Amino acid sequence: MNGDSVISIEGATKTFRDFWLRPTVNAVDGLSLEVRKGEVFGLLGPNGSGKSTTIKLILGLLAPTLGRISVFGLSPRAVAARAKIGYLPELSYLHPFLTARETIMYYAGLCNLSRSVAAERTRELLKMVKLEDVSNRVVSGFSKGMARRVALASALVGKPELLILDEPTSGLDPVSTKEVKTLVKALAKNGMTVLMTSHLLADAEDVCDRVMILDRGKSVAEGRVAELGESLEEFFLAKVGNADEFVLADFLA
Amino acid sequence: MRRGRAIVYATALEILGEPLALLVLLASLALTTLAPAFHYHQFGEPSRMARDAGISALLLGGSVIAYVGTLRTFRRELESGTAQSALAHSVSRTAFFLWKACGCLVAYVVFAATVSLVSLTVVRGAEIGGALAATTGDIARLWGPSLAVALGACILPVVAAALLNRFKRFRFALTSNVLALVVAALGVAYRFDGALASRLLPAFALAAAPSLVVMSASAAFALRFSSNTASTLTAIATAFVLPALGNYCLSDALADGGSVPWAYLAVAFMAVVPAVALFLLIGIHFINERDVQ
Repeated sequence: MNGDSVISIEGATKTFRDFWLRPTVNAVDGLSLEVRKGEVFGLLGPNGSGKSTTIKLILGLLAPTLGRISVFGLSPRAVAARAKIGYLPELSYLHPFLTARETIMYYAGLCNLSRSVAAERTRELLKMVKLEDVSNRVVSGFSKGMARRVALASALVGKPELLILDEPTSGLDPVSTKEVKTLVKALAKNGMTVLMTSHLLADAEDVCDRVMILDRGKSVAEGRVAELGESLEEFFLAKVGNADEFVLADFLA
Repeated sequence: MRRGRAIVYATALEILGEPLALLVLLASLALTTLAPAFHYHQFGEPSRMARDAGISALLLGGSVIAYVGTLRTFRRELESGTAQSALAHSVSRTAFFLWKACGCLVAYVVFAATVSLVSLTVVRGAEIGGALAATTGDIARLWGPSLAVALGACILPVVAAALLNRFKRFRFALTSNVLALVVAALGVAYRFDGALASRLLPAFALAAAPSLVVMSASAAFALRFSSNTASTLTAIATAFVLPALGNYCLSDALADGGSVPWAYLAVAFMAVVPAVALFLLIGIHFINERDVQ
């Protein structure tokens, strides 16, 4: 691990087990990767390729079966490591009984911010995600896109050094999608390290410096976006195939 | 501490905002306030009926709040994914579990305090009203104050909360719970009887003790098992502790102006505290061992 390394994974394997501890699936299989300070790193892959599991290993939510993971040189379970991380999960996962303002204040509290700083940042973030007008409404009544924006604001409230975005544009309309991509670029320009997953290759192509393509828990390609060929989509399909299309074609024939 | 405050606040808000919590509170208050009016005063002991109803409500309603509230908030946190969002922040799993348990305790204390304070008011009213009814033969002197307290404690907070919800978007169930506590406190302060309070409070504390065990067991088992299995295990675990608390007849202790001796209360809590500590340790083990996804 060099001095610039923010995330370092060496040979990580995650095997899920059933109640009787029998192995059910190898979600991540001998994965190694390194994310360096200030870069935007994309984890790409089809459904079930292990992207979200990798992120949960990095956050210490899952314990690796094998291998070594460090974040800012610390164990992912260390509170000091997670103090520098902002996390936007794949689904927004908000407390339905809290308002948008209370939700961001809740996460500000978890980041150990004082009440006045938390209130100030909450106000700024609500303005940034354009939810000022509905800030006192409970989030259970929000659309998917609005909930996504609350979750994004919650991820940024602690001013993290590392931002982990799991499918950040999922559920957002084209305008909001563009805004998120612009935001990621701006954050990276200010020195923030970003790790993101996406199904949408165009998103990764637009904002990522480097990408890794996962398939069945293993890395099948890694490199700078420009080095992977003219079209990331063609490269992706060549690496992991497009089995769904063939199955569907057979069915329709 | 800021992390703790955020978790405690959200947890208490969730439990007290549940319609079930309000229904249990209103049922408990209705039972307590209307007990002296049942069959007018034919049983002859309106204040004793009010007191026993209050203790029963505290024991039964409190157990429901402790068990359902705790189990639901922990299971929801894990099943809805909010636990992973919280634990991705700079809070340790042990701290998250303990602060969340504190949030459950705060919600329970609001319920228990409301029922206890209303019980004190009703018992006091029944004592005064009963004596007047006996001398004047006017039974309205007995159930009149009882109905007034019932109106104040049950209906007033609900109506006020409904109006605040309609015009100010306040949370209905949460506001009702808080207003009921405020009304209950004002009721006791209006005609405070120190002797009555010191006689009944140890009994209320004793009635609340099993709920603490139920709460900690629910919290621990909810982290490892499904809701059904956690419920069963909580019931079994509580059954092991309850016999130690159940060999004591509260009604006998309180008869003829008696009280629960503080020494007995201390002995009861010497059984409760290790049980609560044990379940919290089991909970800490479960949350640190499990994958959160």
